[in-house]
Amino acid sequence: MSDSTTSTAPSAADAEVAVARLAAMSADLRGCVILDSEGEALAASGDPGAWGEAGRELLAAADAAAGEPVVAAHVGIEDGEAFAVRHDGFALVAGGERFALASLMIFDMRAVLRDFARGPDAPPIREPHSNRAAG
Amino acid sequence: MPPKPHRALIDRVSAYADEASAFLRRRRLTRRPFARVSVAGGKTIACAPDTEAGRELFRAAAHVVDIAR
Repeated sequence: MSDSTTSTAPSAADAEVAVARLAAMSADLRGCVILDSEGEALAASGDPGAWGEAGRELLAAADAAAGEPVVAAHVGIEDGEAFAVRHDGFALVAGGERFALASLMIFDMRAVLRDFARGPDAPPIREPHSNRAAG
Repeated sequence: MPPKPHRALIDRVSAYADEASAFLRRRRLTRRPFARVSVAGGKTIACAPDTEAGRELFRAAAHVVDIAR
């Protein structure tokens, strides 16, 4: 079975679970939001309205910079780092600590978003590294 | 012949100054903002902050980081 196969459409509750799962997996994460294909925030670490707007802005700016829809973006500034990944019409946008381990962060974000997009009935592709968040 | 005492002091101060300038140089390099976007097919593009699209991307990223703080 392809990993992009959706067994059941994911709900807002599934998005909350995905946000909590990413928070548990990534020690460098400060907060994140999951957006649907319309750009609406399904779940966020904080205020979904504010997070949704910020996420849409980042994705639009990344698309404009690339000249086509991006599948991932990583921007580092003085105060922290911003990440975005897209999969199956959904997007996950996150803010992290400066000097976060970018490849791990994007790997975790992709894994969480892929599992989320496959729906709640599909088995997870990979179990989280529970020991990394504690370190 | 042992070095003159004032020469040893100057050498020590110079060594500390060299260390400090190297530290500041490394810090400046690692704190430089950067942006990378990946598109389908695995192509990755670096975005310069001195372009209009780059400026917009850094501004949007600052908004995300502010909310996440």
